[in-house]
Amino acid sequence: MSTPAEQFSEREFVICQIARLVEDRYIYWVGGGGEPLSSALLAKRMTAPNLQYLTEDGVVGPEALVPFDPLMTMISSRANYRALQWGTMNYAADLAHLGYVDYGILNTLQVDRFGNVNSTVVGKYAGGEGRRFGGPGGADSIAALAWRTILITDQQKRKFVDRVDFISSPGFLDGPGARERHGLPPNTGPWRVYTPWARFGYDKNCQLMLQAIAPFVTVEQVLEEMSFKPDIADTIEIMEVPTDEELLVLRTEIDVGGQVTDRGRWVELKDGKYRFAQQ
Amino acid sequence: MRVIEEGKAEFLKVDPDGYRGYVRENKPHQMVSKLMSHKDAVERFIRDGDYLAYDCNYFQRGPSSLIREIIRQNRKNLWLCGKFTYVACALLVEAGCADRIDIGFIGFGPWISRAVREGKCKIYEYSNALITLRLKAGAMGLPFLPARSFGGTDGFERSGCKLVEDPYTRQPVLLVPALNPDAAIIHVHQADEFGNSRVFGTGITHQECALSSKRVIVSAEEIVSTDELRRDPARTSIPHFAVDAVVHAPFGAFPGTVQGYYASDPQGVVEAMGAMYRGDFRDYLKKHVYAVASHEEYLDKVVGAAKMIEMRRREPIREGYVS
Repeated sequence: MSTPAEQFSEREFVICQIARLVEDRYIYWVGGGGEPLSSALLAKRMTAPNLQYLTEDGVVGPEALVPFDPLMTMISSRANYRALQWGTMNYAADLAHLGYVDYGILNTLQVDRFGNVNSTVVGKYAGGEGRRFGGPGGADSIAALAWRTILITDQQKRKFVDRVDFISSPGFLDGPGARERHGLPPNTGPWRVYTPWARFGYDKNCQLMLQAIAPFVTVEQVLEEMSFKPDIADTIEIMEVPTDEELLVLRTEIDVGGQVTDRGRWVELKDGKYRFAQQ
Repeated sequence: MRVIEEGKAEFLKVDPDGYRGYVRENKPHQMVSKLMSHKDAVERFIRDGDYLAYDCNYFQRGPSSLIREIIRQNRKNLWLCGKFTYVACALLVEAGCADRIDIGFIGFGPWISRAVREGKCKIYEYSNALITLRLKAGAMGLPFLPARSFGGTDGFERSGCKLVEDPYTRQPVLLVPALNPDAAIIHVHQADEFGNSRVFGTGITHQECALSSKRVIVSAEEIVSTDELRRDPARTSIPHFAVDAVVHAPFGAFPGTVQGYYASDPQGVVEAMGAMYRGDFRDYLKKHVYAVASHEEYLDKVVGAAKMIEMRRREPIREGYVS
């Protein structure tokens, strides 16, 4: 029933990895759109039919009717269709404060070794010199309050850095104990960082560790696209490629227009090996 | 209470007693009709230098027609409550109406970036949920509320938040200053002439905006009778005494959606987003704001009946939205 796909984009690859983590028995707060929402919607169709997720507008457990119009991932009838409950933003934050949110799923502009997230400015903040972005939005609440946060970023040197230019949403800040010292609830924080090429986790000392790679890259390639060297697990797992079944649902039911997946490099199986297609 | 760390940014003065006094003296405690035009509502209730909150945004059940009217009337020096926003702040800053923004999330674009660099626009950092919590504190008549997020971020020192030792648990906790905006604009599904209003479906902070703000303009897709509202009181989202003006604004969220009533106009959404990313709203403002004198003329001449019919047709979902 599940056939490993022979062709897919690296973006589809990471969405499928995250969708496979998502389970019926947890509650998720997903960033409004992009890879986080696509992953949740894919999981709901594949393995978690009773999936419960929240978005910033306080929707609880919708059975979203995809595709959405551009930008209409919240406060729209299709995104919020057949929910269990409708609320507002303060209600979503209340649920996260209470500890109902098991996992947060967030896309990030820039992330560092402690899982701190920057969505404010690349470059210098002072004087408006750097390149400015929208701000934390709902991500600060997710990163602070979800029990575990799953971060997604691109495997690029400028996005995966030793220290983000600006902490918009908290990871482990500067190490063990720092979250609690700044008023965040204990036993929370980043849990995994996914890129289209790799999966990272954290040890007790809040140190980032490379755990797994995609079959179309090497550990060396991953490290070349990071601004710092993470710890590396003794055994590096090779992640499984998307299946034809997952891709069919993703391409025909979820990201029909390619708004999310139509970026990144194309991967194909050639002579028994997955590799980037010649472009 | 021991203060551990303090944000250093300017924030709107916290004054719960002043707000109570304002409510006693100025809020319309009696049921009086407040139906008026966009023009009259903005003339009477939005002033230069106001701290202005809007609920949702220009694309999602937002008070888009009121935002256009504020620009048309050329308000100056507004301080914007920039949460959950794609283009509303950029529109108001580019049009010369606003020069300060509290940020949760806003679409920046090159224009605001330049205004910040040149010192023409000041920005203060929060998150979406911290801003809605500030409004909640304002809507509860309290000076502040605690939250367990935002501490340790680089936004903290550029905000009006404080990290204190909670006198009960002795643990550090963040405090946000209450927000009582001078004015709020809120777009709703239904309102009666007095301002009792219904919002169907999810939202960001309509109730908190209405209760925390001194002057409140509600724009409504439909004006309904008070009897109709009394049939199902649990669905009244905003009470009349919080509201100063009621504006009938069918398609008031254009180019955005009002869930259950009409879908967005993707072409109009992309047109506004494109103008923001280019940092040039001049043509947009000319076409969508200055070329017409009113929302009615806008619907007639710029939007057109065909588009409105199409937007209704593309919103077949009624579950949860019909009264």
